[in-house]
Amino acid sequence: MEKKKITIALAGNPNVGKTTLFNAITGARQHVGNWPGVTVEKKTGKRTYKDTEIEVVDLPGTYSLTAYSIDEVVARDYVVEEKPDVVVQIVDATNLERNLYLTTQLMELGSRVVIALNMWDLAESRGDKIDTRKMEDFLEIPVVKTVANRAEGIDALLEEVVREADKGEHHEHEVSYGDDIEKKIIELEEIVGKDSALSGKYPVRWLSVKLLDGDENILEKIEGSSVGTQVNSVLSTIEKEDYEAAMAEKRYEAINTVLPQVCVKCVKEVTFSDMIDRAVTNKYLGIPIFLAMMWAAFEVTFTVATPLMEFVDMFFGWLAGVVADSITNPVLGSLLGDGIVGGVGAVMIFLPNILLLFLMISLLEDSGYMARAAFVMDKLMYKIGLNGRSFIPLLMGFGCNVPAIMATRTIEDERDRLVTILVNPFISCGARLPVYLMLAGAFFGRQAGSVIFGIYILGIIVAILSAKLIRGTVVKGKPSPFIMELPPYRLPTAKASAIHMWEKGSIYLKKAGTIILVGVVFVWLLSAIPAPGVDAAFASEEILGTEDSMIGVLGHVMEPLVSPLGFDWKVAVALVFGFIAKEIVIGSMGVLYGTGEDEDALAEILTAGAMSPLTALGLMVFTLLYVPCIACVGVVKKETGSWKWTLFMMVYGTTLAWIAAFLIYRIGTAIGWGV
Amino acid sequence: MANTNKMIFAMVAGILYVVFGILKMLEGFGIETGLAELLLIPGDFFGGFCFVVIGAVFLYAVKELTAGVHMGVSYIYVGILMSLVFMAVYLLVMGSDILMFYVVKSEDYEGWRIIDSMRPGIYLGILSLIGYFFWKDRFTTEMTKA
Ligand SMILES: Nc1nc2c(ncn2[C@@H]2O[C@H](COP(=O)(O)OP(=O)(O)O)[C@@H](O)[C@H]2O)c(=O)[nH]1
Ligand SMILES: [Mg+2]
Repeated sequence: MEKKKITIALAGNPNVGKTTLFNAITGARQHVGNWPGVTVEKKTGKRTYKDTEIEVVDLPGTYSLTAYSIDEVVARDYVVEEKPDVVVQIVDATNLERNLYLTTQLMELGSRVVIALNMWDLAESRGDKIDTRKMEDFLEIPVVKTVANRAEGIDALLEEVVREADKGEHHEHEVSYGDDIEKKIIELEEIVGKDSALSGKYPVRWLSVKLLDGDENILEKIEGSSVGTQVNSVLSTIEKEDYEAAMAEKRYEAINTVLPQVCVKCVKEVTFSDMIDRAVTNKYLGIPIFLAMMWAAFEVTFTVATPLMEFVDMFFGWLAGVVADSITNPVLGSLLGDGIVGGVGAVMIFLPNILLLFLMISLLEDSGYMARAAFVMDKLMYKIGLNGRSFIPLLMGFGCNVPAIMATRTIEDERDRLVTILVNPFISCGARLPVYLMLAGAFFGRQAGSVIFGIYILGIIVAILSAKLIRGTVVKGKPSPFIMELPPYRLPTAKASAIHMWEKGSIYLKKAGTIILVGVVFVWLLSAIPAPGVDAAFASEEILGTEDSMIGVLGHVMEPLVSPLGFDWKVAVALVFGFIAKEIVIGSMGVLYGTGEDEDALAEILTAGAMSPLTALGLMVFTLLYVPCIACVGVVKKETGSWKWTLFMMVYGTTLAWIAAFLIYRIGTAIGWGV
Repeated sequence: MANTNKMIFAMVAGILYVVFGILKMLEGFGIETGLAELLLIPGDFFGGFCFVVIGAVFLYAVKELTAGVHMGVSYIYVGILMSLVFMAVYLLVMGSDILMFYVVKSEDYEGWRIIDSMRPGIYLGILSLIGYFFWKDRFTTEMTKA
């Protein structure tokens, strides 16, 4: 059998046992020369392990990979340009913090790294307990314990090296530099990515990071390229020394979050942050803890809002009364009362829910917990073939899918980005909440919270499965690295959280005053125009919202499409108008059932026979999955730049919604549940 | 050893939360446990699941401490924090019930008494509150010495 050939490079800080390990691997099969053009010694050697011929290259010992010294330039040029199959970093187990600094840089280079945790004997005799499994989890790099001067762990190391070289794709973790710097990185990535000579040869994120680091060697390379002036104009906007220091600090911050998890003895002081991280990033408990925290946030959102909703309700009830008393013109009265106050009121009643939901999300974000949730979910996401970076945009989708889809711009890889955009609408946004609240409140009583939570979970599951499906069929390829951000925990301040809540909540208010207002007026108009052949006046009492109005005509055209799901023509109409904004599903039901803003009256009519728990559940699921609102469709078109994908998303979602509601209705009916 | 107290605490809290969680889940499924009235346990599947998670966090502390891992105390700390979060949640729910009864005077709340809003999340949380104030800063300082 033909032997496989791979090349590996040994990297590491000075004095970590690199030469000793090199000798232990290669034995006598060595060759000593010079690196081309410089007087730095280059040693290469060979070793055969099982059926693999391994060429081993000893790189100069360095603390970092920024071009401070000739050694660093030699080492990194080799890694970037010669692209060895695997880079083995020899890490001194007794000095993890400083050694891991180099690891963060190797991670950025996108090379496949295996860590040889050397001097293991010394660490052990000192009593350090190093959890290599945890280390692998955080870094996404295999870790093998070695004692080079006794040639211990060499076979295990080579085994891991061969396996890593063989792996089809590998998941990468990288350090996050925090919002401000990340923005600059993305800006530079976009520019540098345009020069195919550069982006073909070097990872663009790495180039961008190095540029901000003030790396002279990279600057020279860029200056001679087609994007030199553009890059310089970005760089002229920043204070280079500040950036360099801030970035080094971020790397150490990342290391210092990981370190206490890996080795308690290696840190001077254990902080509360370290303790919390230990539990919330636990392999088994991490995801359940995340779910529990989400549930707590939901419970507050729903129950605490109840009295507040009553107050909003009272206000609109009073407003409707004022309108009824003071406006004598019946058409104007109906437009204002049934149309505007009724429609907008039916939506505004959920303002307390929306504000509380955003407050909860702000609290989770500001406390630093959300970053851990992203980290925990990354593991799961990667296992099912997705990118960890997709998680934040998905999470943002709980607020509104429009900014969430815009946030996918942080995903470098085009295919990852496309998949994240396409599945984002399945994450249930705040606008769909009123629909669930209304229906679950009417039909599921005390269990409403759990039912709604279940709908949200369903959305997540559909998003994940769809991503996997799309990834495996129409958009094939490997996911890009996960940018790890683990800021220290903070007690969120009321002020900051309130501001964040308001920033997001006011969008909802604005929407209620604009697009929803227009939408409900439109629904009212259609329901006020008599159907052809019906002899009645415009907006007269007897046709308003009935089958004798234009909306009835529209409804009956749509009805056959949704009657297999157990929906009637009014629901069909509500769903059509939900395309303008999902809240309108409820707003227009208020108009159609003639209950206006009075949510309790609508609930009464629905439970009295207009709907069953089964169809209510079906409608919730349908609302979750079917075509997103017009604003969302617009942003999908804009961000994908493709009508084909936009249409795909719309058709795919609506088809899924139909099938799901159909199954719920049919199966439910068959087993006699909730009919 | 200082950890013995913590282990007993974690064991007790862990078992309580797991048991109450399971009861909540059973009631949520509509299975009568006969304890609902006595212990004020509402039927609530997901809420019960969350209790089981909190219990599991406490029990994980026992597991690590038994294995001699000092950092296992972290799980007690996080278990306490989570149970306090849930205590706060149920207190907020109680607050909203009070508003519904006294201010809104909702029909649904006829005959409501404060005890109707008393939940295991609240009275079990008291245990954690005690643990929290007892150990507070010593959580990290003892860890660093260990
Ligand atoms: N105790 C111990 N000493 C080691 C180990 N690996 C290397 N050394 C010693 O560390 C010193 C530095 O090793 P060397 O290979 O020259 O380091 P380099 O600068 O990274 O090439 C030598 O004295 C080695 O014998 C190890 O795993 N355990
Ligand atoms: Mg050497």
